[in-house]
Amino acid sequence: MKNPLPNPLQPVFEPEVAQRNRLAAVWRLLFRLSVAISLGFLALLLFNILNQSFGYAALTTKIDPASLAVNGAALQTLGKEDLLKILQAKISKGRLRQLDRELPLSERSREDVYALVWQEVVQPEVAYTWPLLDSLWRPAAVRAEAAARYPQAQLTFRSWANASFIRSSQSSDPLNAGVRTAILGSLWTIAITIVIAFPLGVGAAIYLEEYAADNWLNRLIQTNINNLAGVPSIIYGMLGLAIFVRTLQPLTSGAAFGVSDPTTANGRTILSAGLTLALLVLPLIIINAQEAIRAVPDSLRQASYGLGATQWQTIWHHVLPGAIPGILTGAILAISRAIGETAPLVVVGAATYITFDPSGPFSKFTTLPIQIYQWTARPQAEFRNLAAAAILVLLLLLLSLNASAIVLRNRYDRK
Amino acid sequence: MPQTLSPQYAIQAKNLSVYYGAFRAVKNITLSIEQRKVTAIIGPSGCGKSTVLRSFNRMNELTPSASIAGEILFMGQNIYAPEVDPVEVRRRVGMVFQKPNPFPKSIYENVAWGARLNGFRSGLGRPNMDEWVETCLRKAALWDEVKDKLQQSGLSLSGGQQQRLCIARAIAVKPEIILMDEPASALDPIATLKIEELMRELAEEYTIIVVTHNMQQAARVSDFTAFFSMDEDRAGALVEYGLTTQIFTTPKDSRTEGYITGRYG
Amino acid sequence: MPIHSPRETFDRALQKLLDQVLLLGSMVEEAVQGAMEALQRRDHIAARRIYAADQQINEKRYAIESECIALIATQQPMARDVRFLAAILEIITELERIGDYAKGICRINLLLGESLIDPAAWLSLQQMAALGLDMLHRALDAFVCQDVKTARAIPAEDDAVDSLYNQLYRRLVAQMAGQPETVERSNHLLWAAHNLERMADRVSNICERIVYVSTGEIKELDSTEGNIETPGN
Repeated sequence: MKNPLPNPLQPVFEPEVAQRNRLAAVWRLLFRLSVAISLGFLALLLFNILNQSFGYAALTTKIDPASLAVNGAALQTLGKEDLLKILQAKISKGRLRQLDRELPLSERSREDVYALVWQEVVQPEVAYTWPLLDSLWRPAAVRAEAAARYPQAQLTFRSWANASFIRSSQSSDPLNAGVRTAILGSLWTIAITIVIAFPLGVGAAIYLEEYAADNWLNRLIQTNINNLAGVPSIIYGMLGLAIFVRTLQPLTSGAAFGVSDPTTANGRTILSAGLTLALLVLPLIIINAQEAIRAVPDSLRQASYGLGATQWQTIWHHVLPGAIPGILTGAILAISRAIGETAPLVVVGAATYITFDPSGPFSKFTTLPIQIYQWTARPQAEFRNLAAAAILVLLLLLLSLNASAIVLRNRYDRK
Repeated sequence: MPQTLSPQYAIQAKNLSVYYGAFRAVKNITLSIEQRKVTAIIGPSGCGKSTVLRSFNRMNELTPSASIAGEILFMGQNIYAPEVDPVEVRRRVGMVFQKPNPFPKSIYENVAWGARLNGFRSGLGRPNMDEWVETCLRKAALWDEVKDKLQQSGLSLSGGQQQRLCIARAIAVKPEIILMDEPASALDPIATLKIEELMRELAEEYTIIVVTHNMQQAARVSDFTAFFSMDEDRAGALVEYGLTTQIFTTPKDSRTEGYITGRYG
Repeated sequence: MPIHSPRETFDRALQKLLDQVLLLGSMVEEAVQGAMEALQRRDHIAARRIYAADQQINEKRYAIESECIALIATQQPMARDVRFLAAILEIITELERIGDYAKGICRINLLLGESLIDPAAWLSLQQMAALGLDMLHRALDAFVCQDVKTARAIPAEDDAVDSLYNQLYRRLVAQMAGQPETVERSNHLLWAAHNLERMADRVSNICERIVYVSTGEIKELDSTEGNIETPGN
């Protein structure tokens, strides 16, 4: 590009504007590229999860449902009485009694009984699953393959993440397995983590920022907190195992409070997990809260002191309200970190297979990441579909927790 | 330990030295501030004028390494005596800062907060909080501009209005002395003149001590002027103190003359 | 207490200063008036009193001057404000000099002793004083009202004072030539007339300053000079 401006400085300066602009353009391109690559990876991850969560599944059944028709009426049209008869005829007495104990058969709804028949008598099984990409782009090929390889199987388009997946508890049958136990376990653990780590972390941050004198001891503490934020999570797991699970077993098992039977109780409970995760995220919360408190302009403190406020009044009325958005941002990060943690929980003793819901802080538990980890470790392909669906649920849970924290933060931020 | 204090003096520094760690920032200041007058403290950068100002209400103690020697007498009492609580001192000796720093709260709350904090009680023959807020905003010459938007944030005001809000906030706790640390240095010329005019009006009711690096401002606004300068050992010291007209027309000390004529420092 | 102007304090100080200038003006007017009356009555007591009172005029002038300087030093006057203060510095000098003329007339009164004044000469003196005082009075009014038109018009009236002076001068010179024993007395009267003539000139200078405050122009206002027939002007 020719410079349209007359340039009397030419003999002294050689500005090379065009060359400098070219260099600037190259850098801008590089920055854009890095954003694009990151987005690409994110899209790939999401695609991978979605690809596994939905798609065609070939289902076979132990007993052809058509054979269960009564007087020519198809199974799905039968009333509760007929369904109960089928149930009594086809399954063992012991299993029947067990079901009756859970909830008397006479009190169950027709839909419930129908589901039992389907589950206990018909016993569908997954023969093979196809990913979403194949199911959408070449459904004909999928159908041909299914017809050739599994002639008796019924081919249906299945969403592995569905309502019953969220409602059901763990099961060895992939068609019935769900994540309810894991979701509740995760929520309980996170709740305990936040209840413990948030006040402790904010309190420590206030002390370090507002009260602590600048001496070698406090500088040492500060350095250690910064370093703790980078310690691998498995170390925290081992710490939790040693302290909460073993040493504090009477407390963490609930035996000391008479909540659980002292002979069978052990410390591998939600409380231990929550405490361990609290330790894990504590440095994160402290550091973020410190940053937020430091960002409150000193002029506000001066103004407050100048009016005759005490230190506590200054902190409570001005420093904390000013720092709350930043503190909540730290809390959001902490939740995100804690909800995805797997390794320390494995060490602390999360159960990998558990079918009953946690009832309180002293329950045995599992969490979503552990559930996912366990499913991916299984040899059957359909558990991989379940794991993908569970990842979707985990992401949604994370998003909703973060969203609520962001809403909270924005409410304080609007000043 | 009550001491005799001439009633015309609002506050007196006696042999005041202020240290930051081992460094002596200000040395041997003896200064008697007249009641209900505007006293300006001027001097080159780093001469310790703000330090002296902040020692008048113990705000300098917020700097961890700061310490003082000497006395500051307020109502006959050394405010640095161990039995005196700095919180009470700061209520009686208010402060307005260089940068307008209203709280991120409503205009009303900015004024009311300090009053409530210090146990403001309304009752028979006493104003209620709404009236008190109005009184303070009127005294700060801000009422007419904000009376329709008391619930808006104090930060929504212009710089000059914010500073007047800070003045209203300061007088809401009924101080006897108002310290102003370069109160107009962040403002435009017209807002500056408004603040100066307000200082003149406030001087009918309060003692005002203003630190300013703007000599012209000190000349315009004050009744008395104290000129501080740095010694060879870099400690601030009081060079000359007197009526503003005298300091600005016939300074006695050659250092004062050099400074105000712009030929030194 | 709402703020009317961001410079209310300064405005009040300027107003106070103006009041002081007017006070000085009326002191000077009284002095000239009193000096003339004392001369007419040949009242030496009054003349001594007015002679001594000039000290107060001088003090008032110095008070105003230092107040002016204090305002210039502390209030950073600009534009009209600085012209106003500069004008006051000039005006009070002129007023003080007019006060000195009154003092001079009192001194002539004492020097004349008991001797009588020629009635025709007295008439001229009296007319000059009346004209000069009227000019001064209206000039000070014009200063208060910033009345440029009047201020521009007043110096022209100086011509009337000059011609009265010229008449009186010729008369007294003729008298001195005819009656050598009156030389001393006539010379004294000539000095009194000269003082009154200079007073009108000083009023013209005051008017120049009034025009300067409003317009910023510094120039001689037209009084047809050059028709003074005496030397040593």
